[in-house]
Amino acid sequence: MYPEERRETPQGFRGRLSFDRNKCTGCRLCWRVCPASAIEMIKDEKGFRPVFHIYRCIYCYFCVEVCPTKAIRPTDAYENTVFRKEDLTLR
Amino acid sequence: MAFSLPVGPQHPIHPEATLIKIEVEGEQVIDADIDVSYVHRGIEKAFEYKTYAQGLYLAERICGICNVAHTTCYAINIEELAGIEAPTRAQYLRLIVEELARIHSHLLWLGLLAHLIGFESLFMLIFRDRELVMDLIEAIGGNRVVPAYNVIGGVRRDIDNALAHKIREALGSLKERVKRYRRVATEDPTIRARTVGVGHLSPSEARDLLAVGPVARASSIKYDVRADDPYIAHAEVPFNIVVYDTCDTWGRMMVRIDEVLESIDMVLYALDHLPSGDFRVKVPPIFKLPPGENVARVEAPRGELLHYVVSDGSEKPYRYKVRTPTLANLMAVREMLRSRGGKAVYVADVPVVFGSIDPCICCTARVLIVDERGQARETTIDELARMRW
Amino acid sequence: MWWSEILEPLVYPGVLYVTFLALLFEWIDRKLVARLQNRVGPYYAGPHGLLQPLADFLKLISKEDIVPLKADRLLFTLCPILALVIMFTASAFLPMVAPYGLASFNGDLVVAIALLTIYALIIYASGIAPPSRYSLLGAERVVLMLIGFEVPLTLSCLSVAIACGSLRISDIVLHQADRYHVLGLCAPAFALFLVASQAELERVPFDIPEAETEVVAGWQVEYASWRLALFRLSRDVEMLFLSGLGAALFLGGPLGPTSSRFSWLLPPIYFLAKSILVLVVLSILRASFARIRIDQFVSFCWRTLIPVSLAYLLAVLWVV
Repeated sequence: MYPEERRETPQGFRGRLSFDRNKCTGCRLCWRVCPASAIEMIKDEKGFRPVFHIYRCIYCYFCVEVCPTKAIRPTDAYENTVFRKEDLTLR
Repeated sequence: MAFSLPVGPQHPIHPEATLIKIEVEGEQVIDADIDVSYVHRGIEKAFEYKTYAQGLYLAERICGICNVAHTTCYAINIEELAGIEAPTRAQYLRLIVEELARIHSHLLWLGLLAHLIGFESLFMLIFRDRELVMDLIEAIGGNRVVPAYNVIGGVRRDIDNALAHKIREALGSLKERVKRYRRVATEDPTIRARTVGVGHLSPSEARDLLAVGPVARASSIKYDVRADDPYIAHAEVPFNIVVYDTCDTWGRMMVRIDEVLESIDMVLYALDHLPSGDFRVKVPPIFKLPPGENVARVEAPRGELLHYVVSDGSEKPYRYKVRTPTLANLMAVREMLRSRGGKAVYVADVPVVFGSIDPCICCTARVLIVDERGQARETTIDELARMRW
Repeated sequence: MWWSEILEPLVYPGVLYVTFLALLFEWIDRKLVARLQNRVGPYYAGPHGLLQPLADFLKLISKEDIVPLKADRLLFTLCPILALVIMFTASAFLPMVAPYGLASFNGDLVVAIALLTIYALIIYASGIAPPSRYSLLGAERVVLMLIGFEVPLTLSCLSVAIACGSLRISDIVLHQADRYHVLGLCAPAFALFLVASQAELERVPFDIPEAETEVVAGWQVEYASWRLALFRLSRDVEMLFLSGLGAALFLGGPLGPTSSRFSWLLPPIYFLAKSILVLVVLSILRASFARIRIDQFVSFCWRTLIPVSLAYLLAVLWVV
């Protein structure tokens, strides 16, 4: 039964995104292509950085495809319910 | 003494909010009217604010079940207008996923019909077997229901040999199960009692009321977009158009079951004859289309699906119109719900008849012109094109 | 002893015992049907979900009581109570712990079946009490079904009574001391009884009055909180009653090999085991069919069931 046993997700499963800040160059391509407007661009000392609002994300992985440095990577996390919206914001 | 019974907008038979207002005398339905305006989401307006690549993901979410049909139609629509040619391997891969989506949609409908006639056990068992297909779609695309497999220019991922082997295995066992369900549907007396003769639509009525998809094919109309106007790889992958002449719900059920068997064969054929090469042509994520318009049709699980795009030269469409098959079948189902001639329609038949067209109302709530005087009229494609609506 | 006159009808084998058994039967039915459908069934409340029916009952009681404005308040309040009371009364005739029930007199078989008919009429009354069209449709369907299933049910029980020569349930039970009825002349009556019980209990393929996909719970649709809880409990007691009646009339009730040491324990266990057997058959029937339409049901009853039961009655009369 589900909570005790979890299914193995297949390879290539589209779960919640993961973001590696160090690889990001601030090209803003992910922000321009996101169909759900789930990516917000903020400016920090290194330049532009995306903030991912996972609660708006539709898991289409368009951003994963266009990122030139592969800073946005897929994971297989599919249990994405939280009590606070802030917990679903990826910086 | 007739009273009107509102079936909906909240009712266990409706996956989405729909209102079927039936006039009932005792147990017999005399008249029916359908209102689908409850689920209007403004999708066609939303298309105008999204670039073409973003619009793909919006098109995918028009419907949860037939999303592959919507993305296929959208992709070939935009590709035709932009002059992009997707490679043949991509066409075959698109066909594989489209047919897998057809299988899962038909199995879902079959389970739903079993639930509507009160046969819970069959509903549960069919959904268990449907999981085989869902796992396949998940392995191919990344998500069980919305694989997001088509992109403008091809498909997103390749199917390698290990995955192809998995597909063949799963489809082999699924075929045996579906053959068993076919036998159950043909022989079980209670299923036959509830579906044979229910929801009669004669061939002339089907033609006049513009029924499409399995609804038309169960009334002896041999019309399938995959054969009449082939798209992606359908010209090369052979299949039989399934036609029954019983004109009732049982016929529609058998059409869909046989279509599942046909789709399984098509997928296995496509896997065996997969051409080598690229599966995707590089297309910039944001691009401008030349001004013009284009129409694309595909055979969604529910019937003929039509997408119409008008481009004004920018990177977002000027107008995008989606005509889903359920919209075409709505007039037909309204006729079916009325007791006419010698055929009485009972209250117990209402969910069966309405469910037999495989209604996907969230797909359908687009634009319906309702006269101020309270009459609704359908528009033709030419009228739409002229008025740019 | 004077206090046994009060304790027996209330506790054992009275109301509390019947309630406990009814909830147990609901669990068996739900779990069995779920497993047949490749589902899990009740799982979390208690070990293997055994406490689920009790949990549902308590949950319903704790909810807000809503009475529609235009409903007939008297009927709306009276019907759930009456339904439960009638079923408890009927279960007093069941030979649960001994070959005779709490109440046993000549003709109690007829009274038991009459109580079932009154139960169906109470369901009709509860369907017309709310001002809802769906419940009206459900109520109409109940009456149509009553016309259909009552005759086969009565005739199959009466055939057994004629074969035994008595209308008293305890006599029929004791008549099976050497051979159970189902193994002999009365086997067709058992089949008729099963089909008619399935219709009486309003379960698939005959759950037409409460069809979820057609009339959204039919006659029950407007009932909330404790009223629905009482209706559901009365339905469970009815399930116990009909399985128990089938076990008593055809499978020998509480009879079986006894020993002097456990003479107080074995008869209830035999009765329970046989009732559960009947329940299992009814549940398997429930999981195997689609729901038929009301006109098909009436035509099935009047063209098939009733002629068969009449013919069987005549056969029994001729043999006996």
